[in-house]
Amino acid sequence: MKTRNQTWLSLFSYVVLLFLYLPLIVLVVYSFNRSRINAVWTGWTFDWYISLFQNRQVVEAFFNSLTIAFGTAVFATIFGTLGAYAFYRYKYRQKAVLSGLIYLPIVLPDILMGLSLLLLFSFFSVPLGKLTILIAHITFSIPFVFLLVSTRLQEMNVDLEEAAQDLGATPWQTFRYITLPILGPSIISSFLLTFSLSLDDFIISFFVAGPGATTLPIYIYGMVKRGVTPEVNALAALLMMITLITVALAERIRKIGDRKQKM
Amino acid sequence: MKKVFGFFLLLALLVGVLTGCKGEDNVLNIYSWSDNIDPEVIKEFEEKYDVKVNYDVYSSNEELLAKLQAGEGQYDIIQPSDYMVETMIKLNLLEKLNKENIPNLKNIVSNFQTPPFDPDNQYSIVYTWGVTGIAYNKKYVKDNIDSWSDLWNDQYKGRLVLLNDSREVIGMALKKNGFSNSTKDLKQLETAVADLKKLMPNVLAFDTETIKQKFIAEEAWIGTVWSGDAAYIYEDNPNIEFVVPKEGATIWADTIAIPKGAKHKELAEKFINYLLDPEVSVKNYEAIGYSNPNEKAYPLHSEEYRANKMIFLSKEELDRTEWLVDVGERLKDYDRFWTELKSGSK
Amino acid sequence: MNQRGKWLAAPAFIWLLCFFLAPLFFIVFYSFFERGVYGEIVYRFTLSNYIRMADSIYVKILLDTLAISVITTVVTLLIAYPLAYYISGLPKRKQRIWLLLIMVPFWINFLIRSFAWIIILRSKGIVNSLLLEWGWIEKPLALLYNDGAVLLGMVYALLPFMVLPLYVSLEKLDRRKLEAAYDLGATPWKAFLYVTLPLMKHGIMNGSMLVFVSSLGMFVVPDILGGAKSVLLGNLIQNQFLSARDWPFGSSVSIILMVFSFILIVLYQKAVAAGQHWEGERQ
Repeated sequence: MKTRNQTWLSLFSYVVLLFLYLPLIVLVVYSFNRSRINAVWTGWTFDWYISLFQNRQVVEAFFNSLTIAFGTAVFATIFGTLGAYAFYRYKYRQKAVLSGLIYLPIVLPDILMGLSLLLLFSFFSVPLGKLTILIAHITFSIPFVFLLVSTRLQEMNVDLEEAAQDLGATPWQTFRYITLPILGPSIISSFLLTFSLSLDDFIISFFVAGPGATTLPIYIYGMVKRGVTPEVNALAALLMMITLITVALAERIRKIGDRKQKM
Repeated sequence: MKKVFGFFLLLALLVGVLTGCKGEDNVLNIYSWSDNIDPEVIKEFEEKYDVKVNYDVYSSNEELLAKLQAGEGQYDIIQPSDYMVETMIKLNLLEKLNKENIPNLKNIVSNFQTPPFDPDNQYSIVYTWGVTGIAYNKKYVKDNIDSWSDLWNDQYKGRLVLLNDSREVIGMALKKNGFSNSTKDLKQLETAVADLKKLMPNVLAFDTETIKQKFIAEEAWIGTVWSGDAAYIYEDNPNIEFVVPKEGATIWADTIAIPKGAKHKELAEKFINYLLDPEVSVKNYEAIGYSNPNEKAYPLHSEEYRANKMIFLSKEELDRTEWLVDVGERLKDYDRFWTELKSGSK
Repeated sequence: MNQRGKWLAAPAFIWLLCFFLAPLFFIVFYSFFERGVYGEIVYRFTLSNYIRMADSIYVKILLDTLAISVITTVVTLLIAYPLAYYISGLPKRKQRIWLLLIMVPFWINFLIRSFAWIIILRSKGIVNSLLLEWGWIEKPLALLYNDGAVLLGMVYALLPFMVLPLYVSLEKLDRRKLEAAYDLGATPWKAFLYVTLPLMKHGIMNGSMLVFVSSLGMFVVPDILGGAKSVLLGNLIQNQFLSARDWPFGSSVSIILMVFSFILIVLYQKAVAAGQHWEGERQ
């Protein structure tokens, strides 16, 4: 009986995966569309892939987005993990209220976060640019990390940690060797999530960006008025292909490595 | 320890990449719509005057306004639309243009030299203009279309697209009922809105940004469309017709202006003047496909461009048009009606 | 345990204090002032922006938004749960690959993914064209610019927000406990109720909170997939800062939204803490 449920489960999961990838498949196909406005299919062409590499603006925007996303993921995951750990392991006064405050950025509508940060930056005459975008992204990402890590922490058995401490480990050592491995999945998930959130953010980035600091979403949203050209599709297709191929390759290499070990 | 060190090195690198160094004086920061100025033209300006031009985009006038209100001095050139210029003047967000730096200003067609929203071109110069009329797909729409009331026809149920813009849509209904598109009279507004409520069942969607695609893909058969967009749609779907209804329509313009606190004002004025040079102008507008208000450039344009009726409307069509103006306090009511309209329409 | 470790939380808190709470004061500030004739702020104290929310039209918007958010949360949960369960049952390496596969679509800009959905669902889109060709329907189905499309879009956008917390919670589920339950004669349903569910309640609650709260402020989906025909809370707020140029009112609506969510979150946290006391776990 378990195996039957298992097949249903795996079938369901693949269907959901298909649901997630359906628009992407359409995107890739339409990256070969002849029409500039890309509303209906008019014919095959590779032109967009070529013009993509000549388009200085979109390539710059893309790399800006990647760098910022990476930076956001790193910093937010660190701050958030440390924060969640401390928060759930130690006593704080008014914990419920504090945790309400920590999760509040998730509720704040993007346009408000963007505008209020812009007001703040203007007030202190902070020059706008990629750094201000990074700051904004880290700000809205920390709560997500907090949430994912705390999900794990709340269910963890503290005995292990207490035992380690009794055996003489410092708080840092306990954290590094006992807690961190158990938190593994939530940290990886946090990284993935914050990376995605940053990569796709528009409104907040729009308001805190400065001249010359365009991110991919700002570029794409700006294009909408004239029609998003298939170039953008081409970029998306390339990003997807590179990621999937890297994953497949990494898998391959690991399998070979495993086999070698066994020999 | 090595790992930690390597990590901090990465961090430092990251911060370095992000803050980056920026040269100051020979830079021009343009903030505009996507594809609004021909990149070739910009490049030639860069080469001629040895400057670097940054071109950043926004996707709506309101976003532009909000950004300027919350933080000035970032950009040197902006391109707000007509009604937004009026608002920005009242909110003191624009610099007065030094006309001595822009001698080519006289090239602009005379009626655009005194637009109602900025009567002396003190703060802005008309960059392009158009009219919001009715576009329809003659493959599916067999009737003769010449009035706004045609939109209300039952036949178009679920096939009508309206611009996602409260002023444009309410303005349209006001004109249909013979009123001004910027009235402050509540009774007139209520009449127009009541009329619009009856239109809702026909509406497929409200859309400003991807309305062209909806026509090309033939999801929409009829709707309120900008003249420039209609020309664009026509290229991809020749079944499209465009008409300026007999009750009149909204005329609008995009302008070029300098925001308050701009750091490179003179360079900006130089750029504006450069764009107004007839030959540069021709090159620019042929590339972007919008209506060119530059009189001197007109004879230099291609046959194709000059013949396009959706770019250059006739005099009698223009006579039926009206500019949108800021409605001050009443904006709250316009917004409230717009919310009512949308939340009642499912 | 010594309390020195408390300071580990400092970076996070200080960061949020500077870049979230401080700017927030501007918003709270604005909500008590008036909108000037041309959309500027007039510094005269007033409660009118808050009182305005009691108007029936805004109450309707609030209720509509709540309804859609609740439905979205439930649907997302129903879809995410089996998926998370499946992934967490796989060998570790495969888990990571699945996680990555699920997140990659979200690295592609949401706007163009929405446009792709339009190509799929519109009246001459892929679905309708296929159905018409196979003769299953005679007229194209209206798959876009309605509530169904908005729901689809919301679920599509927020799925990772549910999958990840569920996965994190399920991953540590000891399958042996389940096996023990089966050995003792429990049906799969009972095993689920009494073994699995209690162990992952944090995952479910956190995921649901995340999806629910995020959906309250969404405006892109109703605008693009919904044809901008509905006004949800997100659209209302967006409008106030853009076309209506009424920052004070926009601020007050947002403050109300946040206070409401804040209370929700605090209550939830208190319930969690109380629950743990009751079950004898340590906090």
